[in-house]
Amino acid sequence: MSDEAVPYTRELAPPDFVDPVIEFYKKDIDRTLLRENLKLTVAERFEKYEKFAEYARELREAGRRARKQA
Amino acid sequence: MDSNFREILPTLVAHRVKFILIGGGAAIAHGASRLTYDVDVVYARDPQNIACLASALADKTPYPRGAPPGLPFQWDERTIASGLNFTLTTSMGDLDLLGEVVGGGAYEQLLPYTEQWEAFGIKCRIVTLEKLIQLKRAAGRPKDMDAIAELQGILEERRKLKTKGAK
Repeated sequence: MSDEAVPYTRELAPPDFVDPVIEFYKKDIDRTLLRENLKLTVAERFEKYEKFAEYARELREAGRRARKQA
Repeated sequence: MDSNFREILPTLVAHRVKFILIGGGAAIAHGASRLTYDVDVVYARDPQNIACLASALADKTPYPRGAPPGLPFQWDERTIASGLNFTLTTSMGDLDLLGEVVGGGAYEQLLPYTEQWEAFGIKCRIVTLEKLIQLKRAAGRPKDMDAIAELQGILEERRKLKTKGAK
């Protein structure tokens, strides 16, 4: 049997491959949010995203205005 | 500018462009909750599809994103055929057109790993959640760690739902 190192093929691993780095990031996931999203249709998920993007845009604008006034 | 799925996807479909939605857009379709700033698609490289793509963006002022203004960039079949991956600004928003994607290859290779879904009154092909995780992993970008964790979380939640449904 060859002693050659096994090539690094993490990206080809199955999608549920347990990567310790990813597991670390997983602790911060809001699963309640994911569960709510999974109840929606694809169209509804995009609509929700658009509302969120609009909200984020308004916040960015507000921040910009506040910095200008300061 | 935030990603404008509502305008970009129907435009591509109206011009009969063969494409697969990947990246943040596909993540949203699968239930992810993070913001994304562009629309990423893998397009077929056959001459007919290249002609459709050229026509779809002809009046949308496509221009290489981040490039200095004034370059002699012309959006036509020749340009698309000569290139492969294009990161563009357009009048509709930012659009990444990929002839090939790391971990997924070209359109034809990615096609078996897609689902047809409906949104914005159109049907379009979206990469499966499982493949999307593999694509993100293959990209190997530190900024994707969070996204991969969220996508794997979705996969786990979907499996839990399936198990519950089966009981």
